[in-house]
Amino acid sequence: MLSDMRALTHRVRLDRRMTWTALLVLAVATLVAIPFDWFGMWVNCLPDGGCQFARNGMLWYWPAASFLAYAAIAVLYVRAARARGLGTRVLPYAITGAVTSLAFPAAWVALDAYFSDHPYPEGPLPYWWFVLDRLVMPWGMIGISLLVLAWLERNPALLAFAAGYLALVLLVLPMGDGFGSPHFGIRLGMALPQLIVGVVLLLGAFGFRRAARRPR
Amino acid sequence: MTAVTGTEGPDAAHPVNGLDEVVHQRVRLGILTVTHEARRVEFGYLRTQLELTAGNLSKHLSVLEEAGLVGVEKGYEGKRGRTWITLTPAGHTALADEIGRLKQLIARVEMGE
Repeated sequence: MLSDMRALTHRVRLDRRMTWTALLVLAVATLVAIPFDWFGMWVNCLPDGGCQFARNGMLWYWPAASFLAYAAIAVLYVRAARARGLGTRVLPYAITGAVTSLAFPAAWVALDAYFSDHPYPEGPLPYWWFVLDRLVMPWGMIGISLLVLAWLERNPALLAFAAGYLALVLLVLPMGDGFGSPHFGIRLGMALPQLIVGVVLLLGAFGFRRAARRPR
Repeated sequence: MTAVTGTEGPDAAHPVNGLDEVVHQRVRLGILTVTHEARRVEFGYLRTQLELTAGNLSKHLSVLEEAGLVGVEKGYEGKRGRTWITLTPAGHTALADEIGRLKQLIARVEMGE
């Protein structure tokens, strides 16, 4: 009897999952960000070869884009579950979306305010600083929202995907400072990690879509 | 709530004595399980998952509704009538009790009492 109950519970969880939709929406948001970052970036290259830049486009794009993306995901989840004859728990995800939408601009403004009357630290920054910096960026926040979604969907495959994704954006890809010269210019160096993240999310969406369509 | 067996005495603490026959019935336990996981479930989804006829499912739902374990809400989406079932707080408690008792029962059998 208990195993029948477990089987029924598992079937409901499978029927309620919309993992691929969430990944697809986040992939689209990530890929659409690239031109905003490219054209919204302020770059000032000095005669000594060094360059200063500010990614203003991202600051304007991501808060609105992530808010819209999470709202769209929540609405799609509710509609799909309803069409299947099921209720859904989408509120924790919507709350995570709202919080993660605010984390990036809040961190940006806080750092800007701090360094307006404090000197920039001399010497190389510790490694954890870069990891923290990447975590509060939109791509890191996408990883956090995927962890929440994995918990809501009770989805071990999504949990594994989210862990791999977070390792990629926190430890591997230079999301904050881009791939450097001499191979890439500043704009291209910044665009490439975003392109990789967008493609990874897109591949994840297709993978989960295929898995969901497989006969049980 | 009614118990399957109601003996008093040395066996009164046995988990079987606490099983509620309204909940313990296989189909009704299935309805409660699906509704608990889904939060809110449509009549047609339950019928498909539990492989029941509409009449049979209605009968079991009436028993659960009379016991105050589920709420039944009828409405329309467009021209299509839809019936949604939700678990009441008493339904949540009854399901948790049932699962607890089944687990106790299994533990006692495995300990070879």
